[in-house]
Amino acid sequence: MLDSMPLKPVHTEAKPCQLHPQSMCPAFGSMRILSRLEGAHPVMATDTGCLYGLTFVTHFYGARKSILAPQLGTAELMAGEVVEGTRAAIEVAAREPGCKLIPVVSLCVAETAGLPEEMLPKRVGNADVVLVRVPAYSIHSHPEAKDVALAALLRRLGDQTGQKEQKTLVLLGEVFPADPLAIDHLLRRMGVKKTITLPGRSIDDLRLAARAGALALLHPFYKETTALFRSWDIPVVGGAPVGVSGSYAWLKAVGSLLGLDPKLVSEVAEEERAKAEAMMAAQPLSGRILVTGYEGSELAYARMLVEAGAEVPYVSTSIGQDPLVLPDELWLRARGTQEVVYRKSLEDDVAALDKYPPDLVLGTTPFCSMAKARGIPAMYFTNQLASRPFFLSVGMAATLGFIRQTLERGERYQWMQDFFAEETSEEAAHA
Amino acid sequence: MPKVIRDLSDTSSYWAAVWTLCALPDVHVICDAPIGCFNLVATAVPDYTDAIPHLENITPSVIREEEVGGSGTATAVQRTYENLREAGLLDGKHAIVVSTAESEMIGSDLSDLVRQLQPGTRFFHSESLSEDEWVGRDRVLAWLWENYGSTAATQAEPGLVNIIGPTYGCFNSPADLHEVRRLIEGAGGRINMVFPMEARLADIAKLSKAQVNVVLYHEFGHTLAEALGKPWLHAPMGMSGTTAFIHKLGRLLGTEEQAAAFIKQEKQTTLQAVWDLWRGPQGDWFGTTNVGIVACGTYVDGLRAFLGDELGMPITFSASRPLRSGEMDNEKVRQQLHTAAPAFVFGSINEKIYLSEAGAKYTNFIPAAFPGPIVRRSVGTPFMGYRGAVYVLQEIVNRLYEALFNFLPVDTAYTQVRGSVNGANGTASVSQSDKPGNLPWQAEAKTLLDKALDKLPFLTRISASRELQMQIESLAFAREMVEVTPELVEEELASRFK
Repeated sequence: MLDSMPLKPVHTEAKPCQLHPQSMCPAFGSMRILSRLEGAHPVMATDTGCLYGLTFVTHFYGARKSILAPQLGTAELMAGEVVEGTRAAIEVAAREPGCKLIPVVSLCVAETAGLPEEMLPKRVGNADVVLVRVPAYSIHSHPEAKDVALAALLRRLGDQTGQKEQKTLVLLGEVFPADPLAIDHLLRRMGVKKTITLPGRSIDDLRLAARAGALALLHPFYKETTALFRSWDIPVVGGAPVGVSGSYAWLKAVGSLLGLDPKLVSEVAEEERAKAEAMMAAQPLSGRILVTGYEGSELAYARMLVEAGAEVPYVSTSIGQDPLVLPDELWLRARGTQEVVYRKSLEDDVAALDKYPPDLVLGTTPFCSMAKARGIPAMYFTNQLASRPFFLSVGMAATLGFIRQTLERGERYQWMQDFFAEETSEEAAHA
Repeated sequence: MPKVIRDLSDTSSYWAAVWTLCALPDVHVICDAPIGCFNLVATAVPDYTDAIPHLENITPSVIREEEVGGSGTATAVQRTYENLREAGLLDGKHAIVVSTAESEMIGSDLSDLVRQLQPGTRFFHSESLSEDEWVGRDRVLAWLWENYGSTAATQAEPGLVNIIGPTYGCFNSPADLHEVRRLIEGAGGRINMVFPMEARLADIAKLSKAQVNVVLYHEFGHTLAEALGKPWLHAPMGMSGTTAFIHKLGRLLGTEEQAAAFIKQEKQTTLQAVWDLWRGPQGDWFGTTNVGIVACGTYVDGLRAFLGDELGMPITFSASRPLRSGEMDNEKVRQQLHTAAPAFVFGSINEKIYLSEAGAKYTNFIPAAFPGPIVRRSVGTPFMGYRGAVYVLQEIVNRLYEALFNFLPVDTAYTQVRGSVNGANGTASVSQSDKPGNLPWQAEAKTLLDKALDKLPFLTRISASRELQMQIESLAFAREMVEVTPELVEEELASRFK
């Protein structure tokens, strides 16, 4: 069937030790960005267990937004009512006050049963209906599902008609709200007219993005979205404004791509570099850190930590290897990082914990709990890092300050481990 | 018309199977699942419902495109099994393979496969495409007994009592379990087993040693209790319900006197708080403080009995999850909360979202059900038993105090200087100081205001009335109007009660 996700076998390496893959349910990535759009009312086509779990995490991390779904149990599946049910849910969504967009999120069970796009309406009332296919069995990680969802929205809503806005830059990546402000402020000083941050809260930004002068990737996993911008003849700035060297290179690259005044660009870039260098000199890091989240932005964080003086022997992430991540991987490998693991499992991370006993772990909840059980400071990457300013010197100061503070709290972790010593030794015997 | 779900309240029987089986530390579950069904049930949700970092005794087969595309999941499950065995993770464990909606969707029945694995490995078909979590828990508990316990059943010993339930994902269960255990011991019983939480599968035959079984929830566990063939009771809520429970348990155990003495002592100690609050000024509020309840049927019945029948609080609406026939579904609950929210709403995050949508700031939300992130690991917050009655009542009265506090005026001089709108209810943003006396209200304008106030919870009505009046009059002053018109009232109400 043309409309469903092609079922290509994915080559998987035989790694017998990989038992517990680490990612949020991939589809969550799409729910996260779709539920946050103002005026969007998502419909999820899936079974009840999936619906419950994804609604739960969406209501925790996404938005306080009611979510609709067709009932898809044995009876409905046997009767072939996937389309009918989804259409009914779309009708209800369209009646929500101010509804402008109905993303239909099609998940494992609905994808397996088949949900042909041409059987769904394109528009109901004032709302565009956009189908987003994110079966967990083929997307593999939630950062990549963000890409799939955003690309689906842009393909439908991106509006190329009208004047091209040469000096408008699209910033691509879900970042802390203060980050785009800081970036925008600096870019305007260089002569940029406007920035648009995607994914964001505004549907109009999606339309406008198609007429931008260039695209800057803040996160490296937006493959489909990047390809779409290229197909619109919008050039792409690689890298991201991270750390001293990264920020400098990025600002220069934006300047040359948008044809800004080179003198002005150099001035701003150098001033920013000086600020960043001063900040790094003022609060250098020391210690060994394992960066093992599943947000897809781990390599960039590792890079900043290394620049600030930390030793990062091991980095792992949930996303697959890709040319977009390669520059960061090469940069890290050239500066002492010994392992970079993509599509990682808990077992990969635990092996690294044994191999490179760290002073701090930035990881997933299962892995962090294991590190803490050993008395090692550990933070859930998703909650603590992905939700803090990170970019340019301002973001760097916030992130490094936090890391340094956590490194200094090592004693607390040790004290707690000692206090619960019986329990943890039991656990160790267990593992 | 196909059925449309709004904000699902009950998860599937696959979740029930995992949350029940993983409570047994000597079980290892292989879930025949794509990565998402593993992550959500084992980490992402229990992080925030059960306050645990993750479930350690579960491993996914990781269904990918090739399995969905035709190869089936048997190879992936077998590979997972062998890797687990090689890693030593199955030592001393009972391996149980559990189906998921997706594996059922592609017709993966692994009953034959498990026979080729280590003896004792079993397949649990979770029926995830058709059953909810409550039916699922009931079925898996009975299945465990049938497959691992029934043949080794022994004689009952006098005085021993089992508690059946909870599993993971049962709202507030540590506190309720703690209280029910206390009640059983107070009535003269001794705890034999708490199953599945606190038990090992290897000990399941021991369930037969109890003289009486206490089933924690009305939603599940009864089939296992029936299979055990001994007298059984549901755990109680409310003062009379709990008293009846203790009497009955005493009769079943032959410890009537001890049970009666326990009740007497409880009335003088634990329950004294209810008696004191009833006799004090707090009790006067109960008759005019209305309540809505959305929770599992056990809590709905228990809260109705305690708050409604015993304390005389008006129960505006109640609806069980899973839905009983004739009750309000989420769509109807949402409409109700958008139009007239009561003073208190017991519920899940769904009700909390509907209240935020409605801007129902005069309503107090009390968590009483999943879904929703909440830590309930303290044993001091029960809803069940005598301590449950005290805790729930204490919670309500404290929130009434909070409501009263929030409606006391703050001198606007302070908040204006700081440009603050934090005054919880927004009253602070209204300036009274430069207002030259009262404005006349047209009769129809007053009627509109009264109608809007009628919809609000009683206790907060006086303060809300003052606040609304001030807002409307300031607006009138700002527009240099000589009297308050119905149009102006409508405009202000529309902006506040969307």
